[in-house]
Amino acid sequence: MKVAYFSPMPPEPSGIADYSALLLPALRERLDVDVVRRGTKRPPRGTELAVYHLGNNPDAHGWILDALRRRPGAVVLHDFVLHHLVAGVTIGRRNGHGYLDAMEREHGVVGRLLAHGVLDKRLPPLWEARPEEFPLAGEVLSLATGLVVHSRYVENRARAAGFTGAIAHVPHPAWPDPGVDPEAIEGDPLIGAFGNVNQSKRVPQLLEAFARVRATRPGARLLLVGATSPGFDLERRLQRLGLGGDGIVREDYVDERRLWKLMAACDVHVSLRSPTMGETSGTAVRALTLGKPLVVSDVGWFGELPDGVALRVAVGDDEVTDLAAALQLLAERPDARTAMGAAARELASSDHDLGRVADRQAAAFEMIAGGGPVADSVVREVSEAAAQVGIAPGSSEASEIARRLAEVDLGG
Amino acid sequence: MRIAVLRPQVPFARGGAEIFTDELVAELRARGHEADLVSVPFKWSPGARVLTQAFLWRMLDLEEADGRPIDVVVATKFPSYVVRHREKRVWLVHQFRQAYELDGTDLGQFGPSPEERALRRQVQELDRRALGEAARLFATSANVAGRLERSTGLVAEVLPHPPQALPYASAPSQGFVLSASRLDRAKRIDLLLEAAAREPALEVVIASDGPDRERLEEIARARGLDGRVRFEGRVDAEQLAQLYATCSSVYYAPVDEDFGMGPFEAFLSGKPVITTTDAGGPLDVVSDRETGLVVRPDAAEIGTAATWLREHEEEAAAFGRAGKALADEVTWDRAIARLFS
Repeated sequence: MKVAYFSPMPPEPSGIADYSALLLPALRERLDVDVVRRGTKRPPRGTELAVYHLGNNPDAHGWILDALRRRPGAVVLHDFVLHHLVAGVTIGRRNGHGYLDAMEREHGVVGRLLAHGVLDKRLPPLWEARPEEFPLAGEVLSLATGLVVHSRYVENRARAAGFTGAIAHVPHPAWPDPGVDPEAIEGDPLIGAFGNVNQSKRVPQLLEAFARVRATRPGARLLLVGATSPGFDLERRLQRLGLGGDGIVREDYVDERRLWKLMAACDVHVSLRSPTMGETSGTAVRALTLGKPLVVSDVGWFGELPDGVALRVAVGDDEVTDLAAALQLLAERPDARTAMGAAARELASSDHDLGRVADRQAAAFEMIAGGGPVADSVVREVSEAAAQVGIAPGSSEASEIARRLAEVDLGG
Repeated sequence: MRIAVLRPQVPFARGGAEIFTDELVAELRARGHEADLVSVPFKWSPGARVLTQAFLWRMLDLEEADGRPIDVVVATKFPSYVVRHREKRVWLVHQFRQAYELDGTDLGQFGPSPEERALRRQVQELDRRALGEAARLFATSANVAGRLERSTGLVAEVLPHPPQALPYASAPSQGFVLSASRLDRAKRIDLLLEAAAREPALEVVIASDGPDRERLEEIARARGLDGRVRFEGRVDAEQLAQLYATCSSVYYAPVDEDFGMGPFEAFLSGKPVITTTDAGGPLDVVSDRETGLVVRPDAAEIGTAATWLREHEEEAAAFGRAGKALADEVTWDRAIARLFS
């Protein structure tokens, strides 16, 4: 089957570009995939299915949304919350009316009024302040002929938003272990957190929890890797918590190879998030590959990681206490770290195995492209046979037939 | 117990699955169960008919019959396991192979269009759903179980079944190679004919029938094998047992076979089996230089193997005895005990 593949690609600085670079070789073994050039508005001639990778970043995905508007197709929905994307392709293109309309379409008059407030600068941008309350996924869902998602969370939210088409839950593929030597960084244990340093990664809570751990385990160190977001005063927070000494190891943006070396050095990985946009964490998936125990927020995809692989921490009033307890437990129990690491590696080589993921994604694309006519054909033949023996539409017998068709996913 | 054995039936076709299910019903009855065969015609084309025909099984009500409950259903091959039942046990003969490993080969069914690709995926999804409902899942061979696990993630216990009941006996070799497989291309009897063409002393008896017969007879004629290759057609049980008893070896080399009763029938007659490295199910029991010879699917290698077994009667007999010891372990008593454990 000929597939037109719309996605950001390296060297764009995008987790979804990395995802596509990882998956594409395996997908090409199963399907005839044509990766379209950035900015292309229509799929090439002869395309049997257009596949659109959509996430929240308007720089990476604005052109892909434009193409989806011209020709519906399968959407790989990497984030459920698309407010930032929608704002980018409306306000970002000097189309304030488009933003007003989008907010009104999905959130009624109240939405339109709030959007006015944003445009008039009387309210802070909703894509920064309250994006999870206003996901603005409606247009994409209305254009998608089927969805591929990475989590039950996104599947459930799409269903709750009224999407009735096919949804395939296909895990994020795991990278192969690059086999790098760990960076030589001391720590007993060394706890790592990777990604932007900001509020939504729960860095304030992490620092507080780590300070409590360090009070009883002075050998513990926290490795923070990633750019500090504007307005997030990391230094002041460290000073206030007494973490200004050698308890913290700080690295800014690092390249891929160094990222793996730093990740390999850690005994425990922390991957926190709130609010979630429905995203999957590429660094958490890398941690699975390396066989590292994880501590995660109990939200979205993160909350779906199996018990044996991750300790989940609820977001809320007890978050710091629970997080400190989780870190303390893993600090004191090397055996637990080993067991969780083995389970993580097993998960990476099973559910997240690249070949298996490519199989499932190819199956999903084939079903999205041709599943509708197949289901119609089955239902038509069964209905005709039922009618020929006098089973009337709406009768209890017809309902029974429909129920049994639905049981085995054959329509109905 | 009241047990329904489920069998899809392609009208006018009879092969290993039909023999297996008939014997299962007979063996269940012999052990005091009230057993019956439930059969529904199966047609797998054109288009989505493979699904509508599969759906027929879903509409069956086998929870009870004539006012009395059916305790267990035993589904065997696609699509009988689509049936609903609180105690559905599957003894898997095979899935719809055109949707799996045969896809994209000469034996495949689904074309490249999006609709046909989706149809294939829908068959796979139906398998996942229907087989996933089973209370117990068995497969007739490691090959069938392996395919199932690779395609659906479902794990089946390997449970071979005995071959058809024949008056098995063993007698001194009369020097010929026997092939009793149905005559269709997947059984690769043409390889045996090519082997005979290369080995002037090799004699072959083909005791079966099937759609490939005309082509095979033409090959035999073209290679000048008329005096050395005998097409016996379908023979009765006594004749077949006699042929097994007096052959020097049994040729059984289908492509990626599900299970294959041929080796068990050979072993119960104390005869070694010649098979190939890509034969699938037979490799569960045919081990090279233990119970037979396993060679590459190549006429020259098959010819050499057949000649060697004819010329080394002691070794051939030892392989046959080792095979018989294996086959003697596969009994209906044991199989039925596991099936309902």
